[in-house]
Amino acid sequence: MKRLAILFVVLAAISFAGGVGAFAAGGAGNTLTIGVDQEAVGIDPHIVTAFSSMRRIDLLYNRLVRLDDNFVVVPDLAESWDVPDNTTYVFHLRKGVKFHNGREMTSADVKYSLERVLDPKTASPGRSYISLITSIDAVDRYTVKIHLSAPLASLLDGLTSDNLSIVPKEVVEANGNLQKVECGTGPFMLKEWVADNSMTLVKNPNYFEKGYPTLDKVIFRVIPEQASLLAGVKSGDLDMATIDDGAIIRQAAKDPGVVVMSKPGLNMRIFSFNTSRKPFDDVRVRDAIALALDRSQILALAEFGMGKPTGPIPVAATQWALPVSSLPFSTPDIAKAKQLLADAGYPNGLSFKITCSSTYEGGLAEAQVIQDELKSIGVNADLDVVEWGTYIDKWVKRDFDTMVELRGGSGEPDRFLYRTFYSTGAVNNFLFKDPAVDKLLDLGRTQTAFADRKATYDQLQSLLSSDAPAVFLYCPNENQVVSSKVSGFKEIGNGSIWYLTYTKVKR
Amino acid sequence: MGRYIAKRLLSLVPVLFGVSIIVFFLVRLIPGSALQMYLGTQVEATPQQMVELKRIFGEDKPVPVLYVEWLGRLLRGDFGYSLRTGRPVLPDILARLPISLELTALALVLALAIGIPQGILASLQRNPIGDVANRMLGLLGLSLPQFWLAALMVLLFSGFRGWIPMGNYVRFFAHPLENLRMMILPSLAIGVGLAAVIMRYTRNSMLEVMQMDYIRTAKAKGLKRRSVILRHALKNAILPVITVAGFNTGYLIGGAIVIEEVFALPGMGRLALYAIYQRDYPLIQGIVLFIAAIFVLVNLATDLIYAVVDPRIRLDEPGRRA
Repeated sequence: MKRLAILFVVLAAISFAGGVGAFAAGGAGNTLTIGVDQEAVGIDPHIVTAFSSMRRIDLLYNRLVRLDDNFVVVPDLAESWDVPDNTTYVFHLRKGVKFHNGREMTSADVKYSLERVLDPKTASPGRSYISLITSIDAVDRYTVKIHLSAPLASLLDGLTSDNLSIVPKEVVEANGNLQKVECGTGPFMLKEWVADNSMTLVKNPNYFEKGYPTLDKVIFRVIPEQASLLAGVKSGDLDMATIDDGAIIRQAAKDPGVVVMSKPGLNMRIFSFNTSRKPFDDVRVRDAIALALDRSQILALAEFGMGKPTGPIPVAATQWALPVSSLPFSTPDIAKAKQLLADAGYPNGLSFKITCSSTYEGGLAEAQVIQDELKSIGVNADLDVVEWGTYIDKWVKRDFDTMVELRGGSGEPDRFLYRTFYSTGAVNNFLFKDPAVDKLLDLGRTQTAFADRKATYDQLQSLLSSDAPAVFLYCPNENQVVSSKVSGFKEIGNGSIWYLTYTKVKR
Repeated sequence: MGRYIAKRLLSLVPVLFGVSIIVFFLVRLIPGSALQMYLGTQVEATPQQMVELKRIFGEDKPVPVLYVEWLGRLLRGDFGYSLRTGRPVLPDILARLPISLELTALALVLALAIGIPQGILASLQRNPIGDVANRMLGLLGLSLPQFWLAALMVLLFSGFRGWIPMGNYVRFFAHPLENLRMMILPSLAIGVGLAAVIMRYTRNSMLEVMQMDYIRTAKAKGLKRRSVILRHALKNAILPVITVAGFNTGYLIGGAIVIEEVFALPGMGRLALYAIYQRDYPLIQGIVLFIAAIFVLVNLATDLIYAVVDPRIRLDEPGRRA
């Protein structure tokens, strides 16, 4: 018995002593370790849908164009472009850009990549962004000409997507796909991938932007618990972590050794109606509910105030988004709401279900606040809390009364609004049909002058706010918790960590 | 004995066959599918793309046909490919199995090392206050939720480098000391509960055994007290404890999901969790088959250990257990 105790103590002492100083955690030299809560399931840019995969692809590949931190489209692999008429785009590629296998990137690679995305066999999620392309010509070694079947103002914005990265044909054909291997032109190259544990990227010495990247290594660590992520940054095991949980961010904000970067992202929280089900087929009921919801309160209670109220266009897209206060049915008015309900034939209120899920995107917290707020107009909402897979299933089958959702918006209005609110839009789960909305969407997509488009989308924002297929709540912040040793990182607002290219770590 | 072992090992076949049918059909009853999860709420696919996607995700044929195809491949050693990652299922499971096994083994060792001595001490009832304290501690160990204990440990120990895995897992054979250091806390989180159970069983069993005639005989013979307790009483009292420990170990293998999640250990439990969330059918099926097989093997091992410790047991004669 005593012997056992002694053995135990000796073992503990050895393991403690043996470990001191033997750990290479947190990185030596110019290495940045980033903590993320999800493993990337694959890294083929043309196939993946998950955000976790996009984060790796951000650093491994380039696209024709990319977004800067103001959502402005800037050159990436294409150093300039012309638009001779509204269905033709000519891209002039940079010269001397090398893939990680040493070969130079040319127009043939751009043609191959875009055609792979368009091919139905690839089943690429990026296809819808460029579906109007009819042909791609590699005019000469560094020039690509793209023809569209109809004008598509969002084309450039669509081409900034990770799903439209430029890949080399021979590597795809040698491996079937790029899920487990990579060969991009990006600032970093894949060195090692230990599934569900870590992924190590090293600097691309031949990156086309001279002097960058400034880091030698980037290591992704997969840590599912948000609290553990913060603990990691505080202890120095991690240099940076992407944290969503409001409570954890609040804790991080109190800590002097850690910097919290926050910016309203492009994702949007909405409260969706199934407009094919009573009573939501009556716009007065939808408007009444829109008037009963207090965006600021939901934001304060469900997300600790970390976000910004929004209308149909994400508020971070400052070029396009109208202020929420100027949109109809967007400021709470309980009296008017009750009146509208009475007009619609529900003077004593009504009851229905709110489908939500306890995982982050499923908005359980938001649903609870909404449920409470609706009581003030006599509406009794039951929460239908389901598991994530079931939530998706209900969404796909349009089997819901109302739903709390998180949608991925876009900095460019057409990309998000068309597929979401067009009567035959692919992600129009509200089953919403309004010819006036369709007309404006079709118009905005074909117009090329900014002033014209702005006028169209201003009208559309008003119309969508009063038609209310969904109530547009707020855009949650994109949060990165960064050690004070890290400098040069900027958030774009769509989750991309592209700016690690320009980041340094002081040790 | 050899024949007995062979017979028990053969029983793996019908068990695994039954499990495979149950898991294959049951898991497809859950609403949602891997394809839906892949598309989420943001991605649009054209009808031609959907045809292609359904083929890739194995949703283009009726379920019984899919079962037969899967079983055929399984019998050739092909566990299929994960719907989520596209990687082959078997190597991924095998890569994570040692981690879960190590966690279980360490938890068991800790639980026995803590529980048995405590149980013996408690049964001796030398110190009434100590006995009560012991029982309270035991109750605490039983009632403490593992996930809470785990989260607490992460918060307390994350300031000290190397005690929490944190996506930094190293294999035992590569760096034994670091590995042990990072596995101690997770094993404790599981082990504490199991230790409490073992302590109770040991205490109760010892109390019963100490009343027996042969103990009085041993004392009368003039044997030292320690010898009486450890050699005579414990050897008899340990039998129910073996059964309990063995039974719980089987559960531990698959059940350390929460602990693995909180400590970010890349074990089989976490793999199973993600597979279920994402409706990754081939992966779920593979993992469940493994867990079922391990459960059967652990039960066999428990029975064998029992037979070794208690020479009265003759395993190959049914119904003759003393």
